[in-house]
Amino acid sequence: MVTQTPPQSAQAGPGAEPPSARQVAGRRWRSARGVVAVLLAMVVIAVILAALRPATSAEALDPTSPKQDGSRALAEILRQNGTPVHVARDADDAVRQSAPGSVMLVTRTERLTREDLTRLASAQVDLVLVRPTSFALADLAPWVRKDGPTFEDADEPGCTMQAAALAGAVSLHESETYEVTASVTGAVTTCYKTEFGGPRVVQVRHGAKTVTVLGSASPLTNRRLTEEGNAALAMNLLGTNTTGADTPGSDAPGSATSVVWLVPDIPTEGTAAGQQSLGDLLPFGVKLFILQLLVAVLLVALWRGRRLGPVVAEALPVVVRSAETVEGRSRLYRAGHARDRASDALRSGARERLVPLLGLPRSSAQDPSAAQEIVTAVAHRTPYDETYVGAALYGPEPLDDAGLIALSDVLDDLERQVRQS
Amino acid sequence: MALTGRLGLLALLGALVPLFVPSWWTLFAVWGALFLGVVLDVALAGNVRALRFHRAGDKNVRLGETATVSLIVENLGRRRLKARLRDVWPPSAGATPRMVKVNVPAGERRRVDMTLTPTRRGDRKAVTVVVRSVGPLGLAARQLSRPAPWTVRVLPAFPSRRHLPAKLARLRELTGAHVALIRGQGTEFDSLREYVDGDDVRSIDWRATARRNDVVVRTWRPERDRRIYLVLDTGRTSAGRVGDIPRLDCSMDAAMLLGALASRAGDRVDMLAYDRRVRARVEGASRTDLLPAMVHAFAPLEPELIECDAAGMVSTLMARVRQRCLVVLLTELNTAAMEEGLLPLLPQLTARHLVMIAAVSDPRVGEMAAGRGDLASVYDAAAAERARADRRRLTAELRGHGVEVVDAPPDEIAPALADAYLALKAAGRL
Repeated sequence: MVTQTPPQSAQAGPGAEPPSARQVAGRRWRSARGVVAVLLAMVVIAVILAALRPATSAEALDPTSPKQDGSRALAEILRQNGTPVHVARDADDAVRQSAPGSVMLVTRTERLTREDLTRLASAQVDLVLVRPTSFALADLAPWVRKDGPTFEDADEPGCTMQAAALAGAVSLHESETYEVTASVTGAVTTCYKTEFGGPRVVQVRHGAKTVTVLGSASPLTNRRLTEEGNAALAMNLLGTNTTGADTPGSDAPGSATSVVWLVPDIPTEGTAAGQQSLGDLLPFGVKLFILQLLVAVLLVALWRGRRLGPVVAEALPVVVRSAETVEGRSRLYRAGHARDRASDALRSGARERLVPLLGLPRSSAQDPSAAQEIVTAVAHRTPYDETYVGAALYGPEPLDDAGLIALSDVLDDLERQVRQS
Repeated sequence: MALTGRLGLLALLGALVPLFVPSWWTLFAVWGALFLGVVLDVALAGNVRALRFHRAGDKNVRLGETATVSLIVENLGRRRLKARLRDVWPPSAGATPRMVKVNVPAGERRRVDMTLTPTRRGDRKAVTVVVRSVGPLGLAARQLSRPAPWTVRVLPAFPSRRHLPAKLARLRELTGAHVALIRGQGTEFDSLREYVDGDDVRSIDWRATARRNDVVVRTWRPERDRRIYLVLDTGRTSAGRVGDIPRLDCSMDAAMLLGALASRAGDRVDMLAYDRRVRARVEGASRTDLLPAMVHAFAPLEPELIECDAAGMVSTLMARVRQRCLVVLLTELNTAAMEEGLLPLLPQLTARHLVMIAAVSDPRVGEMAAGRGDLASVYDAAAAERARADRRRLTAELRGHGVEVVDAPPDEIAPALADAYLALKAAGRL
């Protein structure tokens, strides 16, 4: 309650010395190291997670991108083989550009909204889905379900699907596997089965519409196009039959007149569901509840804010330690390496105490003419010779700090010897 | 007006209602209910404006002791007052309890006892009394703050009281009133009394002995009715903290012991506290009320952070006292302050008066002078030796002017000053 500064205890001794910068730094480090360790661990974990995640660039599977995971090579080959490739950047555009008999390649399904998916589902074109999300699968191929990823490299197709059979072994690398639900209607072909799990490519023929689900994007990318039968598989699926004559009406969609390549952009705000704010979604009662909560907080604040009486200020007397000036002078001596003044003060103090012990008048302590007398008297009562005593009591200033400390000890020793003699 | 936590809690519970009946009207109903509760509570709460406060209790307390101050709350209203009451004092008054609950029926009074344990010397004034009267529902309260003036003067502790019996015994020895082995000192014939074993045979008054059947000794006593003028320096040097307490408090303590002793010895004691103007003064107090007067004069004194005006002090003193007296100056042996201030004026003062200077030395300087071992301690020791040498030189110079100098650490200054006074008394120099 009282704000007076506690007085410095006179018996503080050496324990009360202010801590050195090193001690302060050490203390801070010890108190902060737990936090630092946690932060460091979080950074390391974040870096590891980021490194483990397969990197996909913004232009992955883009038919105009020449990057490693782009698909410009495939698009070019398709065009050279006479199949026009129309690039669509949103679902509406894709549906508009598709004509009967064309194949729609749907990539990056995570960017498609619910509305986009229903629009695509209602379009009467053949679909090739590349690594679709569960949402996209549910809308576009409701008979196919995800069955976990696999890292096995695929070998022979092991199925009757012409596109796969003609392509032979492909290199799918990391791939999704699928299972086909029992409620399926229409012809189902499953290819590239893993050792234990399901197939990696599923083709469902449902009425006039063929939906092919491709578990891996590798066959389409610039980087992997040349591996094994990747290029063949991709081109077979998308329309150009690389191996000989095309048989119209066969189960392979090789007769495609054009390819609509859908690479959706990120849906912008303000379209469809994005327009609804949080407020629109909350029930009215909850809004009133929150409003009333704010009122309650305000009332509690008013309750706590009104204090029972004023804060009392009080003028306190000044606190100055009396020995402050002496301590200041000591620090000045030290900063200026004033060994001459320090040694003078120590010597005259010692003489002042020695003189009454020797039975000499007090005034002789500071009297230079009495020097010899004092030195003789001290040497007489101590085991030291006059030169030693003279150097201690009247000698030149010490050459270094160690000399000053030694001088103080010598003076103490002389004083003790004289006192005891 | 003040709100309570219960209102906040109710508002919080009220937030649940619109969850079940989501409508604006529900919310308005909750607000209406809360508002009605508040209005009702404020209307029905005990009237704080109809309260009267009265005070009773201690007006003085010695530092370190506890005082009791009562606050009497009188309810002139027509309703019972149930309230929380806070008697507001400054922090250093150490007032407890901080808050009390009072229940005063209409037309009656209740007493609230506050205990004060001050931590500082001086006057402590009650700031105000705050009453918060809560309504019957406990949702809202009327609050009022009204002054109830009272001042408690915190007197200096006078810790050197314990030295007084010893010094008085020594004084009785001097006066010869003590039945003792020592003949009374002094030159004034005091009285005759019966001889007791151990009295000096030289003091036997043979003529008086011859008249009576008893051996009678003469007693002497030192001169009485001398004037002593205590002068306290309250300037910047008195603010320095020596050990745990300011130098001024040590000086006060020494002055009180000397005052008590001298008034018992039959001398007239006056006191003056001065820095650039007169801060406190005790003059012409009788023997019995000297100490209370001094204690009261000392209580509100605080060191001022200004240089003491020695010339003003000397001229004030010279104007007040014409006859010869012992001037005891309680100050600090600060070379700069002394050489520029008091030293040139000393001849003026010593020509008419006997001057004694009492200074409190800092034990920390002694500790520093004894420091050895590392460089910092040795430089400390050197600086301390230098300070001591300055002090010695100043003391020698003052003694050269015929001034008595008493220089002692804080716990010894009071007895040392009393001893110096007794020595002067014994020597008949007053």
